[in-house]
Amino acid sequence: MSELRLTVNGGEHVLDAPVGTSLAHVLREELGLTGTKIACNEGHCGACTVQVDGEPQLSCITLAHTVEGEVTTIEGLREHPLVEAFVRADAVQCGFCTPGQVVSAAALVAANPEPTRDEIRHAMAGNICRCGTYPKIEEAILSWQG
Amino acid sequence: MRRAGVELLRPSSLEELDGGVFVHGGTEVVPLLREGLLVAEQLVDVRGVVPRGVRNGVIGAGTTLAELEADSSIPEALREACRLAASPQLRNMGSLGGNLLQATRCWYWRLDYPCRLHGGDRCHARDGEHREHAIFANDFCASAHPSDVAAALVALGATLRTNRRELPLEELYRLPDGADRRTTTLEDGELILEAALPPVEASAYLKAMDRRRWSFPQVGVAAARVGGETRIALAGVAPIPWRLESVDELDRATPLPRAEWKVPLARALVRRALSALG
Amino acid sequence: MARLIRTEKEVEGRFEEVWIVVEEDPLEQWPEGARSVVGRPAPRQDGPLRVRGEARYTADIKLPGMLHAAVLRSPHAHAKVRRIDLAPALAVPGVRAALGPGEAHGLEEEAGWAGAPVAAVAADTFAQARAAVEAIDVEWGELEVVLDPEEAIRRGHLTGEARRSERGDVDRAFAEADVVVEGTYRTQTVLHNSLETHQAICEWQGDALHVYISTQYIWGIRQEVAETLGLPEDKVRVICEFMGGGFGAKNGPDEYTFVAAELAKRTGCPVRCALTRREEHTSAGNRNSTIQRLRAAARSDGTIVALEGEFINSVGWSGWSSPTEGPMRALYACENVRTVTHAAQLNTPPMKAFRAPGFAEGTFGLECLIEDLAARLEIDPLELRRSNYAESNEGTPYSSKNLEKCYRLAEPHWERRHEVRARSGTVWKRGVGMASQIWYGGGGPPSYAWIRLGSDGRATVVTAMQDIGTGTRTAMAQIAAEELRIPLESVDVVLGDSARGPYASISAGSSTTPSMGPAVRAAAADAREQIEDIAEQRGLPRDTPVAEVVGLLEEAQILGRGARGPNPTGMSVLTFGVHVVEVAVDVETGEVRVERVAAIHDVGRIINPLGASSQVEGGVIQGIGHTFSENRLLDPETGRVLTTSLDAYRMPTIADVPEIVCEFVDKPDEHLTNLGSKGLGEPPIVPIAAAIANAIRDATGAEVHELPISREEMLRALEAANAKGRRGAPAAV
Repeated sequence: MSELRLTVNGGEHVLDAPVGTSLAHVLREELGLTGTKIACNEGHCGACTVQVDGEPQLSCITLAHTVEGEVTTIEGLREHPLVEAFVRADAVQCGFCTPGQVVSAAALVAANPEPTRDEIRHAMAGNICRCGTYPKIEEAILSWQG
Repeated sequence: MRRAGVELLRPSSLEELDGGVFVHGGTEVVPLLREGLLVAEQLVDVRGVVPRGVRNGVIGAGTTLAELEADSSIPEALREACRLAASPQLRNMGSLGGNLLQATRCWYWRLDYPCRLHGGDRCHARDGEHREHAIFANDFCASAHPSDVAAALVALGATLRTNRRELPLEELYRLPDGADRRTTTLEDGELILEAALPPVEASAYLKAMDRRRWSFPQVGVAAARVGGETRIALAGVAPIPWRLESVDELDRATPLPRAEWKVPLARALVRRALSALG
Repeated sequence: MARLIRTEKEVEGRFEEVWIVVEEDPLEQWPEGARSVVGRPAPRQDGPLRVRGEARYTADIKLPGMLHAAVLRSPHAHAKVRRIDLAPALAVPGVRAALGPGEAHGLEEEAGWAGAPVAAVAADTFAQARAAVEAIDVEWGELEVVLDPEEAIRRGHLTGEARRSERGDVDRAFAEADVVVEGTYRTQTVLHNSLETHQAICEWQGDALHVYISTQYIWGIRQEVAETLGLPEDKVRVICEFMGGGFGAKNGPDEYTFVAAELAKRTGCPVRCALTRREEHTSAGNRNSTIQRLRAAARSDGTIVALEGEFINSVGWSGWSSPTEGPMRALYACENVRTVTHAAQLNTPPMKAFRAPGFAEGTFGLECLIEDLAARLEIDPLELRRSNYAESNEGTPYSSKNLEKCYRLAEPHWERRHEVRARSGTVWKRGVGMASQIWYGGGGPPSYAWIRLGSDGRATVVTAMQDIGTGTRTAMAQIAAEELRIPLESVDVVLGDSARGPYASISAGSSTTPSMGPAVRAAAADAREQIEDIAEQRGLPRDTPVAEVVGLLEEAQILGRGARGPNPTGMSVLTFGVHVVEVAVDVETGEVRVERVAAIHDVGRIINPLGASSQVEGGVIQGIGHTFSENRLLDPETGRVLTTSLDAYRMPTIADVPEIVCEFVDKPDEHLTNLGSKGLGEPPIVPIAAAIANAIRDATGAEVHELPISREEMLRALEAANAKGRRGAPAAV
């Protein structure tokens, strides 16, 4: 076991976990933040996306002990206007990929508040949605400012 | 990860390096460790010792693909290779150095079949499923090299500096053979630090995939004019990034039966890439 | 008043006659057109929970003391366990129990496919359970492996009898026809790959079993688990409030539920058994591959006089034979049709229903064949389809059919083909293709709902159904709000727990809306009737706003109950549609871009146009994956799955999405229930592959005969078209 310090959604945590534990596992199991989903556990789907210093990364293949920077999960984006935009646009079906989608989208609009469709598609291509909600996700991001 | 008691080291200088498995972004190493394809008692986080950033045509090996994608000072082929590689999250995490060293996506290798690369005496793809595999140098091992960035840098004539030597990027790679199954010439403890680019007059990267994004190259073609010379390098066609002297070399490709389709595809992309150089 | 009747129930194309207790349903349908709530776009009620990551899926549930199970799966495509020793597994730290073959339903001694479940272990952590599984000492006796479906049929390895159908005089019709076309079409094995993997948590509370499971059929799980374990059904409680996708793969309990139940029994602790993503690729079912040998014959005036098909379903080790021949039998008015469908038993993972099983595959073959016929006849493809319009389903009248209206709505999209083709260049060729859709979607009884209204004027629809992501929760709220004449915001819907509501239908076969919807409306009508009675007793007009009337209630409540009535007897309840697709093809590299899809569907009354458009987009996009990049591959030597991860099994990303224009006929089926609504989950995936293939043909002359349309297949087809000297639109009408 090895000590681990993480800043998540503005809060500091000190934990003990074996080296090799993924950030996703720590978030879900140690911190009870189950909004971040694990769908493949090997970096191929994007469901586990969190932000590290505002940058979307895959928490399932991030070693918790190597995280340098502040982690933002979907729980930290609860009040983001994108949440309402997603709901309004019906950009959710089964919802399992949705937290990851919102995290990636929030990073996109932070860097680029009025992305074009092409920019949205390029930035969101790392979040798989099996239900095919993509057109509505694109609309949600285009209309996020209300 | 199944093994308890993996140690994580964080050296702050090259002198402190002493064995272990190097990890930077972790996008390749972490899944391989988890699958048991890589075994480590010590993980060495090299983010403190590998340079990061671009200065005067020298790219720190710790620079992420996302950073390169966004940098207008670097040649088009490299930028495009980064832009079309992986996914945004993986580009944020993955380093240039790590990308050059990534292993094949060959399903037999990834599923730990006792194939040649794993030290065995067969290439399972030859008589099995090889539709995504190599069309050159595929006698011993038919795996395809998946790195877009490696092909771009080979075409651009990049030179690597490691903690041991300087070498043209092409010399980083070797074809596996009976005596030595490795596809790189990296020694134990050798760490890639930088890639230096010569002045490039023009360059291009074209990539064929079966979905628009987030796919390893079916065929990737990098072309560059460097010092008046035209250089071509391909991803996805051989166990290592593959240089072509001309499009005609494709006539001498040796595809396995279900990979024959890669030849006309490569031909079309090579012609287009050369066209794009102007 | 309840009565007992015999009626026909259809799910996924399979019919069964059932005795059911039904309620009379005297409610008249609403007139056509959007109402105050029904027929208007409504955002999902549970949207905020899902978007914020607050929805708890089975994967998120953690029970105190919960253990984790891992499953030993056969590495061999066909083998028997000669000897198995669980002791080394039990010795691994953290392990609490282990099961061998036969000790839980689904753990078998004979493994008929690589990935078949054989043994299982429960431990404190999943990593420990996995380590223990690897420590199990097992000796395998390998058996012969058959992977090729035609070889299997030759040998008589079948999962069931061949299914045959015949009408008219097929041989004579072929002999006398002016034009005959034939072709062999193949479709690949496709994996559901829902983002939440298959999993269940089982916890015993005394002699009762609680099952938390990611499922499409709460009541089916309850029934099957109870029957298998020998428990009274009321002793099995099934809970699923949120689940991360099913698409047909999560209709049953499978081995993981029984493994969890047995391990929970032995350890006295709750046990989660969850498939890993790798196991989803090997052991969670699939849409089986097909081989279709088809022929069509016509008179030169365009009348299709004969259709014949031999269909081979590569079912796998077990499973059922999906109706791949269905479209050939049902889509067109053709007097002479003969089909035979073989079900090959193979040492490959068993199939499972996947969004319009059989019909998605069969429509690809049939609609490409029809395109071929149109080309040979030199008749416009839309015209050809229209002029062979079936007025009945092999003699049985339709409850409603508006396919002609779909064709009319398709006209402006079809008209674009001249302009689209004109934008072709030397490298990128453009074209337009179309395909028709027929499928089921009538749902059926039983399904029940209760409504509870209090003095605050809020209504709770009490159900024990599931919402698998299709938005049925919101549709039920809309129906209740409409019938009660109260605002949508005043309605809550309870679902997801078999202990807290009455029987609900499966969410498969496009059946939730047509099965649960009428029950909810009936319950709301029952409640409304009581409210009106109360108003009348108080000397108020019967149509006094509900909020005013219930204000009198104080602690009392209005309780309404409703049930899904029977389906119309002697009628075929089917859904219809048309897709018109525009593609661009790079004729040098074989790259295909789907640029626009017009998806036109006739599914009766649309409850929520917002949710409905999402279903259409989702089906089209999933179909695009089926068409281009998804392919589950096996190693031909060992029969093991090679594409075991999402980098190898590639599903569409947002970058692969075309412009999708979605139109609905939205005409209630006047014979179907008090709503006139059919299901929409499956229709949108049915015609898309054929429409794309036909667009490719229109653009380039290349005929693709295989899914996926890989670069390899596209380049082959382009090469073949070049050899025939063909380029561009064949039937320029």
